[in-house]
Order: sequence, then structure tokens, then C-alpha cells
Amino acid sequence: MRIRRVLVWPATILLALGLLMGSAAAQAPGTLVVGLVAEPVNLDPAQVTDANSNRVGRRVVETLVAFPDESTQLIPGLAESWVISKDGLQYTFTLRKGITFHDGTPLNAEAVKFSIMRQIDSNHPANKLGNYPFANYFFGNVRTVEALSEDRVALLLKEPRASFLAILTAPAASIVSPTAALKWGTDYANHPVGTGPFRFASWDRGQRVVLERNPNYWRGPVKLERVIFRPIVEDQARLTELLTGSLDLMVGVPADYVAQLEQNPKVSVLKQVGAHVWYLGMNSQKKPFDDKRVRQALNYAVNKEAIVRDVLKDTGTPSAGPVLPKTWAADPTLKPYPYDPARAKKLLAEAGFPNGFSTTMWVPESGSGMQSPVAMATVMQSNLKAVGVNATLQTMEWGAFLAKLRSREQDLFALSWMAGSEDPDMVMYPLLHSSQWTPNGPNRALYKNARFDMLLEQGRQTTDQAKRAQLYREAQRILAEDAPWVFTDHEIQTAALAKRVQGFKLHPSFDLRVETVSLK
Amino acid sequence: VRQYLARRLLLLVPVLMGVSIVVFMVLHLSPGDPAEIMLGSAATKEDLARLRLEMGLTEPLHVQYVRWMGHVLRGDLGRSLWMKRPVLGEVLERFKATLVLAGSALVLSTLGGMTLGVLSATRPDSILDRTSTVVSLFGASMPVFWLGIVLMVVFSLWLGWLPASGMWAPYGGGDFRDLVLHLVLPAVTLAAASLTIIARLTRSTMLEVLGQDYIRTARAKGLVEGRVVVRHGLKNALIPIVTVVGVQAGYLLGGAVLTETVFAWPGVGTLMVQGILARDFPLVQGCVLVVALGFVLVNLAVDLLYAYLDPRIRYD
Repeated sequence: MRIRRVLVWPATILLALGLLMGSAAAQAPGTLVVGLVAEPVNLDPAQVTDANSNRVGRRVVETLVAFPDESTQLIPGLAESWVISKDGLQYTFTLRKGITFHDGTPLNAEAVKFSIMRQIDSNHPANKLGNYPFANYFFGNVRTVEALSEDRVALLLKEPRASFLAILTAPAASIVSPTAALKWGTDYANHPVGTGPFRFASWDRGQRVVLERNPNYWRGPVKLERVIFRPIVEDQARLTELLTGSLDLMVGVPADYVAQLEQNPKVSVLKQVGAHVWYLGMNSQKKPFDDKRVRQALNYAVNKEAIVRDVLKDTGTPSAGPVLPKTWAADPTLKPYPYDPARAKKLLAEAGFPNGFSTTMWVPESGSGMQSPVAMATVMQSNLKAVGVNATLQTMEWGAFLAKLRSREQDLFALSWMAGSEDPDMVMYPLLHSSQWTPNGPNRALYKNARFDMLLEQGRQTTDQAKRAQLYREAQRILAEDAPWVFTDHEIQTAALAKRVQGFKLHPSFDLRVETVSLK
Repeated sequence: VRQYLARRLLLLVPVLMGVSIVVFMVLHLSPGDPAEIMLGSAATKEDLARLRLEMGLTEPLHVQYVRWMGHVLRGDLGRSLWMKRPVLGEVLERFKATLVLAGSALVLSTLGGMTLGVLSATRPDSILDRTSTVVSLFGASMPVFWLGIVLMVVFSLWLGWLPASGMWAPYGGGDFRDLVLHLVLPAVTLAAASLTIIARLTRSTMLEVLGQDYIRTARAKGLVEGRVVVRHGLKNALIPIVTVVGVQAGYLLGGAVLTETVFAWPGVGTLMVQGILARDFPLVQGCVLVVALGFVLVNLAVDLLYAYLDPRIRYD
């Protein structure tokens, strides 16, 4: 029958496919392939607000002050040294000599001035070439930048701020080639030029960003010849690519897969706690959360250990406050609130709510640094119900959620913060100082305590780190007592690597430092 | 026919206008804007105001729309708010990848669906027919992302035959073979639902046609069965099939969004998802316009095909 012919086609196609298939991904020596959870959008770190863009962009540019590979302590970067004036208003940096940008432009004081001033001076020739979202957040306190000589540059502040050196490690503080920025104009975001260990090579939209080794890198060239960053949104696809050898390294291992991957002999899993905090905010200006006992009760009612263990699968560590444990400002005596529903009930009764109360909990469906917000909030909801607090869960899309929080109408809300640095000023001041109440700042719990405010202000003005530590430790103890948030967890970042990847470490700032990698 | 074509092409204008208004409104009226997303939890009132001003989001909506439309009519879809690149180039580059994927899926589902349908119709209630019924039911009810992941786990992770994601190997590759290998899983995933719909429809239409008198006549003439089925049967069953294939073509363009996301296919779908999450207004508007244009052009092509298939249909 002629119909049989029809069957010939599928058979032929199958055969052809069989001939095509069968070669495993060949791994190129010297090329590292990294799987990102989303595509970078922009490679000018001064314009960037998303983690994936920074993971790529920060390989190309560098900052005056830097972090070592394993911590967020401060070390010299492009500046070899600095002097801070007595009044704390002038930071004078001496640049390393002989460094050039990838396009041959020399790194000098003018380049530093250009990189900062383009963000804050609306008359600067490069100011309109991009949006600099965090210009004001990081550099609002910078009065001006002066090039004192070829290799000496002064940053003049409006008010003293002890965390200014930490600010200079931020992506927005990256030093860019003025020649390249002016040459490319608006397109500079797609052609970044810096001094970093890698230079930008190419970007195939939706597919890959390729960086190549900078042979003239001032610390000496790195071992890798090339890094390819691939955006793979779907978790299973990223995982499959890693396990089949098409990826060497992936960040953001889904919590549910961590245990499984740890058993897999083909890959190794790395974990590192990051400068991050997740909290359930309580509106301190609104009943019943204006009563400290209610806020404490909620802290006792929520079972953080269970959330971290069962929802996050140990990709988080319970927190006692906003400051990362074991950093210089952390108060070692502070412990997370224990899970104690009986105590929670007692406190609620003392506050006049023996039968609990009803309230609402706003939760974003997802968002930068939010981990698994809905699952975490659902556990909290049932924990609260157990002590008589009926919280109605309202989940919202991230943008809508942020907009709604400016109304000051929130009761309970889930939020997180990535400070990028261990300096307590970068997390406590914006989130908890009373001058930062939403909508003027990110203090969305509308927390206010005069003594606490004063300690944070002094902490900003004191340059001596030991003295600052004292001030911030007292502030943390006040905060734990006042409990404006249900302190929840600090995220533990995860990465999975192929066995051939050597020398990689996750960084507490969430940066992805592939420059330390060598391939076996 | 030329007149008809001209009229249809003219009709494109109001259709695309309507699409542009709906997309523009839906995007701009839904809560959250690009400034909000850029600043995230660090947003302050002043920074939001400054960014919105810089991005031209402070003017009344109708003013923004008219300005955008003015640019669109001159062939300028604006610049992406995040990427700072011209939207038109960005979208067209990605649309090519979508066309490759949706086109392959269309060919696959049409050929596969019709073959399966004809075979089932010629042997109703045979094992083949029953199997294809069950498979069809399965295929039509499986969510795209689930099927995609299952295929990926089986053919990439377990068997290691096919790459799991992307359009080209990260390095090396770049030839036709590389493309085909990367295309198999997403194309099959995307085609599955359409294939089963086309198969079911072909089967039922064919059964009906094969029961007609002229088929009996053809058989009585002593024609070979295959000739009867294909020449006399299939050709007359084609009209409803073409209609459905046309609808499916549109569905495949839209359905590519999910498939592309699962397989990291660098098409307009992944771009659109990225744009929506970031509230990159000009980018999403540009993507939707281009996809909508593709959709109406496919419909037009299908309508023109009717006349060829059925001489009784006239366009006047």
C-alpha cells in the first residue's frame, strides 16, 4: 500500500537525527562557561540594579577600594592608599601607577572624577547617557571630586560618613574609561571598558556574553582565557547543562536540589552566607504593632529554624538582627529569638490581646533577595495562627508590592535587603533610622527610637572602627528589644561547579569572582 | 484578488493600532513601573521621581502614547529603558530565532498531525488509531513547560543525545547540525499540542470525506486505495485543516514564549518575559507589535490559501 510510504518519512527523519547526534559537549581548555539565572541587561555597573548584570559587569571594571576574595573587609583596589581628613570630609586617594583601561586610556585622577561626577552632576557631558538609579543613594553626600594631580584625587563630602570607603566598593563606584564612555555614548552600557581582569568581547542577545582575559592586568593576567556567561532561566535546564558538562558553574542552585547535588560525584556544591537579611516588617506606628510586646510576641511565635530547614533547605541561617554575624560590628552576645509560642501568647495577653487579633501580611511573589517569600510567609502565617494572630496573606507582584508599601498602610510585610558590604551603616541606617521612613527612604516598618537614631548618627561620624563597633552593638541590642521586624534569616548563597573548576569561592557580597578560577 | 489583498492589508492598520493601545494601556496601568523595579527596596521618593522624569514617564498617558505612536509610524520603536538599545533591532534579531522555532514546530505538527490523522482515519479502531487517540489526549492536555522538562530530562540528562538549552553550542558549533540538534527538543515540545489537534481534526474530517459517494465511485473505478485517500480524500478534507493550521501558527508564535523560557531559546519570547518583569515598556510594546504583525500576516496567508484549495471561494 502506498500509505506505507508515509511511514518512510518519520523513519528517515529519525535516522538523520541519529546521524547528527552523539557527540558530547567538547570542553575548551581555558574557557569557563557560567550559567546565570537571567540575562544581564546592562554592563555599566553605575546603571545596574540587578545581580546578573553585576556578576558580568564587575569582571570588567574595578573600584578604588576593594574586597579580598573571601570577605567584605576593605583593601586597596585601584587606589594604593588613602588619607581621610580630620573632619572626615575629604578622602584623598593615591592611584596605582601604570594602569591602563582596556582601550589604552590611562587610569588617572580625571578618570575617577569622570566616573563619579557623571552620576551626580546634571551638567556633566555623560550625565544624560544613562540613568544612574543609585547615584543619590551612594553619592548624594559627595559635594565634588577634585583631580589634585595625575594620580591623586580627592572626594569631598557634604557630611562625614564613616562608611564612605565601603560605599566606594559598590558597583556604582566603578571607574570607567572616560574615552570609551564618551565614544559609545548611550551604547556604552553594551561596550563596557574598565581596568578589570577581563575585557568585554561580545554579547549575543539572549545567548551569551563573552569576556576575554586582560593580558595587561595590573595584578597579573588571570589563568582563564575566556568566560562565557549564559542566561538559562529554567532551573532544570541549568542543572541539566551542568550535569551534562555544558556548564562549568551555575549560581542560584534551587534549594530543593542542593541536597541531591551534594550527593552527585560529578559536581561540587559551595555555600556562603551573604550580606543579606530577610525580615517580616511590622508597622510600628499602627495598632496593634505600636506595642513592643506585640512585636516581641510575633518574634517568639515564628519558628525560624523550621523555615530555614524545611522551606529553605538550609540555604539560610536564622538571624538575630540586620547585621551579619561574625563581622566586626556584630554583637556576639545577641541570639535569635527562640521559638516559644507560650511566651508569645503571654506577651499578647499582657498587651491586651488574650484572644489574639486579625491582621494582614503583604508578601511579594518574588523579588531580588526574597528567597521563597510565599512559602516562608505561609509558614509564618500558620505559626501566628497558633498564637491567635490571624494574618490574611496578600501576595503581590514585586513592582506592585513596592509601590503599595509607600502608602504606610502596611501591617505585616515581607522584605529583604542586600547591603553589599558588612558595614552596619549600609543596612541599619537606611532600613531603621527615623529619617528614612517610607516614602522618603526604605524604613518601611516606620521604626523610631531616639537613642537608636543617635547611635546610628554617631556611628556615621566616628572613624575609629572599635568605637563604631561599640555604638552599633548597643544599637543592635536596642533593636532586638524593640523588635520592629520578625528577624528571619541571612541568605546562604549556593553555587554548583563541575569538577574541573578549581579555586572558586563564593563571595559574601554576592559578587561572582570567576577571576580566581583555574581549569583542570 | 489584488483588491482583496489591498483591503486586507489596509485593515492591518486599525488592528495593529488596537493592539498597540491595549498593550500600552495594560502595561502602563498595571501597578509597578521601571523606576520602581530598578530601585527595588532601596527606592526613595526623590529617586523615583528623578528616574521617572528621566525616562519620560511623568507625562499624561495619552501624551506618552501619542509620542510613542509618532515614533512607531516613522519606524522607530524607541530605546529599551534598561538595555539602552534600539528596540526595533533588538526585537527583529530575536524574532528570527522565534520564527525558526515556531516554523519548525508548525512543519512538524502539520506533517505529523496529518500523517497520523490520515492513518487513523483509514483504519478506524485499529491499534494505531487507538494509540493515537490516547497519545493525542495526552499531548493536548500536557502543559508545555512540563513536557519540555520531561523531554529534557530524558533526552539530555539521561540519554545525553541532545543539548538541553540554547540555540547554539556555547563555543565551537555554529553550523547547521548544531542548530538542528538544539532545535529538536523545543520544536517537539512546542509542536506537541498542535500536532494532536491537527491529527484529531484530520481524522474526523477524513472519516467524513471517506464516507462520501464520490469516494465510493473512485474505489469502484478501481483506483489504488492510496490514490483514493490522498487525491480524492485528503484534498477535499484540507479546508478545515488549513483553517486550524492557520490558527495553530498564531498559537505557536505566542506559545513560543513558554517553550523559549524553558529551553533558553534566544527568541522574542524570552525577551518579552524579561521585559515584562522589568517593566521595560518600549521593549514589551515593540515585541507585542512585531508578534501581532506576524499573527495577522499568517491569518491573511491562510485566507488566501482557501481560494487555491476550494475554487468555490471567491474574494470579491
